[in-house]
Amino acid sequence: MTAPFESSGQEDAALLSGGTTAGRLWRWLGDFRITLASLGILLLLWCALTQSGLVNELFLPGPALLWDGVLDLIENGYRSRTIWEHAGLSLERVLAGFGTGALAGTLLGLAMGASRPIEAFFSPLVEFFRPLPQLAYLVLLVVWFGIEETAQIILLFLTALPVSAIAARDGVRSVSLQRLQVARSLGASQWQVFRYVVFPSALHEIFTGARLAIGVVYATLIAAEIIAGSTGLGWMILDAGRFLRSDYVFAGIIAIGLAGLLLDRLLLVIERRIVHWAGKD
Amino acid sequence: MPIEPSAGSGAAAEARQAGPRSARDEVGSWWRSGRWLGALAVALVWLGWYLVSAFALVPEMLLPGPGEVLAALVDIVRNGYRETTLWENGSATLWRCGAGFVLACITGVPLGLAMGYSAKVRAACNYIVQFMRPLPPLSYLILLILWLGTGDASKIALLYLTAFPIVASSAMAGVGATKLQRVQAARSLGAGEWQIFRHVVFPSALPLIFTGARIALAAAFSTVVAAELMAATDGLGWMVFSASRFLRNDVIIVGILVLGLLGMALGKLLLTIDRRIVHWRGVD
Repeated sequence: MTAPFESSGQEDAALLSGGTTAGRLWRWLGDFRITLASLGILLLLWCALTQSGLVNELFLPGPALLWDGVLDLIENGYRSRTIWEHAGLSLERVLAGFGTGALAGTLLGLAMGASRPIEAFFSPLVEFFRPLPQLAYLVLLVVWFGIEETAQIILLFLTALPVSAIAARDGVRSVSLQRLQVARSLGASQWQVFRYVVFPSALHEIFTGARLAIGVVYATLIAAEIIAGSTGLGWMILDAGRFLRSDYVFAGIIAIGLAGLLLDRLLLVIERRIVHWAGKD
Repeated sequence: MPIEPSAGSGAAAEARQAGPRSARDEVGSWWRSGRWLGALAVALVWLGWYLVSAFALVPEMLLPGPGEVLAALVDIVRNGYRETTLWENGSATLWRCGAGFVLACITGVPLGLAMGYSAKVRAACNYIVQFMRPLPPLSYLILLILWLGTGDASKIALLYLTAFPIVASSAMAGVGATKLQRVQAARSLGAGEWQIFRHVVFPSALPLIFTGARIALAAAFSTVVAAELMAATDGLGWMVFSASRFLRNDVIIVGILVLGLLGMALGKLLLTIDRRIVHWRGVD
């Protein structure tokens, strides 16, 4: 489902307005100038607000303070752990929870897509879990398993599972009927049809679902670390916020944003590698 | 998130329903559709839960039985939880979620449409939207609390910022999904810019706008509960969090069930509105 939102629409816009190559290049540069100008205005506003003393630097750190905070975090770490350790712990949890949840969810989704009874059996549970705010059952998991890794990884497993399951189910459903019929009429067995027709067709949606899932899992993990954690990037900004160290909070938000981007790009690269036939129908 | 194909045109569906159907037909089709398997799954989960608690396989304090959870639900509905009724908590959660979501739609859709329409607006705003979209909302909740305090303002701002980038990017993608041929056809028939927008571009963008709104509402609903866990004095998230402090696991399970049903209801509500308004979805 993320796919349509990724397209910038730039090509369409260029088509809508038409023009020669040189004209388009000029327009592209012109647009980039607007981006730079907009960014410049934001930065100027930031400097003006913080340097003039209109906003207390306790609440919004100025550029110099933020830079010092970032360097300090990289050099000295936060509370006896380096920032890499905090980030590493967060990423480890994401990968453990996402890996198990996406695998189980994809298998379940493939089964649900292939068989009506299996779908009918599991869909109320999946439909209930999908819109349920994940943090609601974190509380129960924490009571059961304590605040250490187990509760968080189970939470992320339960977060990733329904998202992946629904994506895989829809992927199986979207197989083109003609291909199924062609494969059958050429004498393919049930397993061969699944292995060589259904699964490759579904793979694109499975990956789209995986990217959606990793985004949700990551947001959930940060929330879980903030609410019940003692390590990780989420906990770091919560703790820094308590001491009004907004320079650390800002640096932490940037680190969280970059790590999230990294996770998404990683999946995108894997997807391009594996599903090289996507969109070539 | 699946985009279910619409179930035929409205007229055909009505005609099908208008025909005389006996109760036996209903039961038969319900049986053949296999939907009873779903009911069976729910019953099995309930049975498993009941057996676990009946044989005391897990300490009662950790997992209360269905009877106790039901009793807790009745108690909360009648007497409330710590001087707040279930309705108060539910409406506090829905109010925050709804306020942030509606504000995001009111501002995000026009901005997204403008970004889709004009490369200049896109250049000025898109990088901010695309930076905000993947950022976990709870990470900036701490800043919002520092700036706006722990009241409703910081939460509504948080939900606004959660929903806004999703709504804006989907509206932008919606404009991008407009078929060039249709724009050209309208133009060659002499339509003005406003008419093209009103009758061609906007209807083409609407399906994606609604899809975005559904994703945004689901995200806002998850986020509001997380925010209430962190800093709140009412709301369903607060109720669950407070119950966990007192080891009232029956109240936690009531909260989870209510939140799950509420989330399903919100999704269904938007889906119904979507089908009503965007009846041309997928009819290309």
